[in-house]
Amino acid sequence: MMPRAERLSPSISRRGLVLIAVGLLILIGIVIVAVAREATSRRVVAAALSRPAAPARPPLTPAEETYIQALWPIHGAVERSAVRMSLGQIFYVTKDVGRTELKARVDEALTTFQKAEAQLLTLEPPPSLRPAHDEYGAAVRLFHKSAVEVSKIFADGREDHLRAAYPLAQEASDKIREIGGRFWPGEFPPN
Amino acid sequence: MRGRIVRVVSALAAIAALGVLVNVGTLAADNNDNDNNGGQHRPPQTLPQGFETHRELLHDAIRSDEAPENSAWILESTRFMGVPFRSFMPDRGDKPTVDLPVNVGIIKGPDGKLGLYDSGWKQLHYIFDLNTSCCWAPIRQQMTAIGLNPNDVEWIVIGHGHWDHAGQISEFPNAILYVQKEELKQIDFFLNYPSTFDGGHISRVNTDPGGCARSPVCGYPPQTVNEILGKVLGGKAHIVDGRHEIRRGVIIHPAFRGHTYGSQLLQVNTPRGQLVFGSDTYSSWEGIRDWNVANIQQTDTIQQMLAYEKCYVLTSRPGDMSFHNCVSAHEPISYTAGYPLTSNWWLIPGGNCSRAAELTLANGEGTHVPNPPPRGACTPVIPPH
Repeated sequence: MMPRAERLSPSISRRGLVLIAVGLLILIGIVIVAVAREATSRRVVAAALSRPAAPARPPLTPAEETYIQALWPIHGAVERSAVRMSLGQIFYVTKDVGRTELKARVDEALTTFQKAEAQLLTLEPPPSLRPAHDEYGAAVRLFHKSAVEVSKIFADGREDHLRAAYPLAQEASDKIREIGGRFWPGEFPPN
Repeated sequence: MRGRIVRVVSALAAIAALGVLVNVGTLAADNNDNDNNGGQHRPPQTLPQGFETHRELLHDAIRSDEAPENSAWILESTRFMGVPFRSFMPDRGDKPTVDLPVNVGIIKGPDGKLGLYDSGWKQLHYIFDLNTSCCWAPIRQQMTAIGLNPNDVEWIVIGHGHWDHAGQISEFPNAILYVQKEELKQIDFFLNYPSTFDGGHISRVNTDPGGCARSPVCGYPPQTVNEILGKVLGGKAHIVDGRHEIRRGVIIHPAFRGHTYGSQLLQVNTPRGQLVFGSDTYSSWEGIRDWNVANIQQTDTIQQMLAYEKCYVLTSRPGDMSFHNCVSAHEPISYTAGYPLTSNWWLIPGGNCSRAAELTLANGEGTHVPNPPPRGACTPVIPPH
């Protein structure tokens, strides 16, 4: 009876088998070294910068989700009018648009903010979101006040009104960015 | 036979005449944007190009070589952690994720006054709770910690208006802001983008709940635009239209649609030659080196490549067309020897693990790098917010 190796592959000599075994051992060694190195480098990175985990966001309740979804179109309209009014003032100062165009934007913003205030009154936030809802309402009222201040320029032509309106709009913008970030984290992906 | 010749000649003449008529008003690559009657008669779908010829760029490079030299640093406003590499550079992906710094450039002129290229951001709730970034510290505190007085900041050039790059403008109330008019115009244009065309498809992409409120561009919350307004109302803004020389050796170059519609570069003369800061048009230095696009937002990829080329031309020396002096906003290997310009780096003391790098020193300016530079392990904290 022939030895098993010779039966399976008579052309492979004992020396050949040794070479194959050595080759396999080398391959296994490379894999072990690579895995060890990878694990070590990961430990080094972890040591260089260990970052505290951000607190996990609790899942929204159905009532919270309903409220946030209802707020979204209001939020979009408020933001659009706020930015159009800001840009309108920039272009007015740089003389890229005249008073007619600025007035159109301010009038549009006044309408938007009035409508948003009315819509917010119809929303019924769950108790957990009541503070944010009130804060959002305060922001819209600030935008409204800012637009009223800007509109005074059409009565007396004084650009001081734009400067008086600015901090109101900035405070309102800060507030809705803060609330917007909480409700719609993906609204402004950093890029 | 003669009749046939007459017909052929007439047909060719008609085609030539038609060609001349059609060509009237066509924008050529070498045209200045203002050649087209100030853009007043530009067709609605034709955008300003921001092209600059090699000759013009070389002229700026050569002239600036004679200008007073500036010192320069970068510091890290925050660091995005674990960003999928392919979302940053679609042609790469040798690692599944990368950490991206948000770099701010600081330039110190011969008079000791400072300028910023980009201003970082400060929306802490977003940075720490939602975006899982790390390492934020207030920019004024960071500057003080590396030996630069924030009260000396006289000007800020924003490479583009996205909120993570133009977010701390109001921290420098006396600084003049430089922003491209094209950047403001594009925000305005897309605020009015029709929501009805094609069933509102384009508009819907980003306006579904949770998406960007102003499609197809986003990244400009009212907060950021209003901060720009504050500068304009305070007489502290310069709305730039294309190339603009702030002073000798400090020149803004347009990079329209290199990242956003009104992106702009900043060329600065230094002892190591011209540096070109590129914000997100130069998101990746390796991308500039290897001609890979990166961080494509409102980007025209050809325009991004042309902006890369501007750096090659502006920073070139005879026999050396290189990418070494291009300053990137998000290069993952910033603050390592792999990106030689930023290799002289250190952890900002009290800077919540944020890093700074000294790019070059001029006019007897001493080094700001501590000896030895702190580079050890660091644990960032989440500040109260």
